[in-house]
Amino acid sequence: MDKNIYEPIRCTVTEVVTESPAIKTVKLKPVKEFAFLAGQFASLTVPGVGEAPFTPSSSPYDREKIEFTVMKAGRVTSAIHNLKQGDIVGVRGPYGKPYPLDYYKGKEILLVGGGVGLAPLRALFFALMETVENYKKIVFCCGAKTPEDYIYKDRILDQWHDFCDKFPLSFRITVDKKCPDWKYGEGVVTKTLDGLDVDIKNSVAVVCGPPIMMKFTTLKLLEIGYEDAQIYLSMERKMYCGVGHCRHCLIGDLFVCKDGPVFTYDQLKGKPNIWV
Amino acid sequence: METLYISKKDWDSFIKGKCAGNIIFAPFENGSSLFYGKADAFNYADIVYDRARPVEPLRMFLLPFRERVVPEPEKIPDIVVMGAAACDLKGLEILDNVFLKSEYKDQNYAKRRNKTLLISFDCLAPYPTCFCELVGVHPYPEAGFDINISLSEEGILADVGSEKGMAFIGNDQKFFQASGEQVKKREEQRKKTVETLKESNRSYDFTRIDRMKGLSQTELWKVPREVENCVQCGSCTNNCPTCVCFLLEDTGNSEMLKKNKVWDSCLFPGYARMAAGASPRATLYDRYSNRLLCKYWYMVENFGIKGCTGCGRCIAGCIGKIDKRAVITEVLREKR
Repeated sequence: MDKNIYEPIRCTVTEVVTESPAIKTVKLKPVKEFAFLAGQFASLTVPGVGEAPFTPSSSPYDREKIEFTVMKAGRVTSAIHNLKQGDIVGVRGPYGKPYPLDYYKGKEILLVGGGVGLAPLRALFFALMETVENYKKIVFCCGAKTPEDYIYKDRILDQWHDFCDKFPLSFRITVDKKCPDWKYGEGVVTKTLDGLDVDIKNSVAVVCGPPIMMKFTTLKLLEIGYEDAQIYLSMERKMYCGVGHCRHCLIGDLFVCKDGPVFTYDQLKGKPNIWV
Repeated sequence: METLYISKKDWDSFIKGKCAGNIIFAPFENGSSLFYGKADAFNYADIVYDRARPVEPLRMFLLPFRERVVPEPEKIPDIVVMGAAACDLKGLEILDNVFLKSEYKDQNYAKRRNKTLLISFDCLAPYPTCFCELVGVHPYPEAGFDINISLSEEGILADVGSEKGMAFIGNDQKFFQASGEQVKKREEQRKKTVETLKESNRSYDFTRIDRMKGLSQTELWKVPREVENCVQCGSCTNNCPTCVCFLLEDTGNSEMLKKNKVWDSCLFPGYARMAAGASPRATLYDRYSNRLLCKYWYMVENFGIKGCTGCGRCIAGCIGKIDKRAVITEVLREKR
């Protein structure tokens, strides 16, 4: 008998971490193994409230637990923020196409993330670190509105920097508006793309963040010499089914759920209202 | 395909007999319109064979307005649906592409599709809103049915389109092989209906409909004045044989997860609106054009066939009295 495509896997909330005033990470333990690849997403059900799609922010190599970093923005995300340890939720997926890591082999990888957009990039970063010998260089550009809005602070600003000594990895960190004890850059995330030490011809840029940030980052990347097909964008749309049936997530003829959620800019160019 | 002949009287008593032991839905007149109703041993003679598509799209039998998807749905019965028009059968091609020929098969749809026997009818008197000929569909079913009925003064020609259809007829002795003469007469009758449709659609130009691809500019859709009359009621999408959009509704609790699939409409302002409030289709013009672009651009890319079958229900049901044919003609003319 065919599988019921809408049946979620039951998961127990093991921990809820407050990342910033508007963003929390929920850590889940699924009753059975949940495997996904970096860039793929899953649908998270809060029983009786609703369901919404999120890209896990945990390592794809850890199949025992799964983490979602969620900004409080509406009905379902508010319910997610209210979750407590021991609560039951449902997860179904994974859906969509992952980042093409095989294709990234031998390349210099530029990651550009803003705000809660750092969540999918965290999963990608874990995956890249597992296979770090495959890539020539990794440059991770991170932005947030203020230091208070930075998520994964302990990792981005601290823990992950240990990797920089061992691997060709560097971070470029900024906030739109700094506070007195902030020792990193100030300015929107596109500023971190000035003076990049990257061999652009042999590079891919992976961008994730709010639409306005993705738009201006894309324009900046094109300006500094990236081609349309070298720019990978994580698209977000209202979504229900996740499997290409309900048509809510269409960007023109492209389904965010099954053709995406990661698209290259040349796939998206010319489609209606891509920057929302 | 086998074509059989049966007199109208014998067909009526055949259907009367089938009403015992089968759940049969068929078109009946109600006011001046045809609505699907349950056929039984008392009303079988009132089934209308000589008109065009019923008010409701065929898809309502396969995709109920609200259905449970988690946990498993209730038992789905076998049904017979009579009276679907060619436009509706064509619409099933879209539905099959979405729900069956996908990496993820919709179990409910698959079951219902499997448990539905389709007896389609030739259209004999198309409505002024019908425009199948403009989108390459003819007013008589050629495929996708189990049995197709063509009524004429002489009686009924029944095309048998599947083994299921053949089994439904069984070894009823009132059916005969249709003669070449009878089939030829039907061709003439069909040609006449085609001519009627072409005549009633003479003022609309769909010849360059393929150029809808890329026409998503908000300003362009302000050109046909009637678009502003759209009140975003969702009538066009609810009546459409190929609109499949739905939302999922959660009604369970942590003991038991429950999900329903419920019809949605891309005309509703909340349809594409995301959690923080941003919408990729912020204006009425974006939403109105999205529906047409979905039919003539997106579905063509997705499935290789147009999502519009020319049934005209979206025109007939429009509260704002928008004639899609005129809108499309004007937009294509504007872009020439």
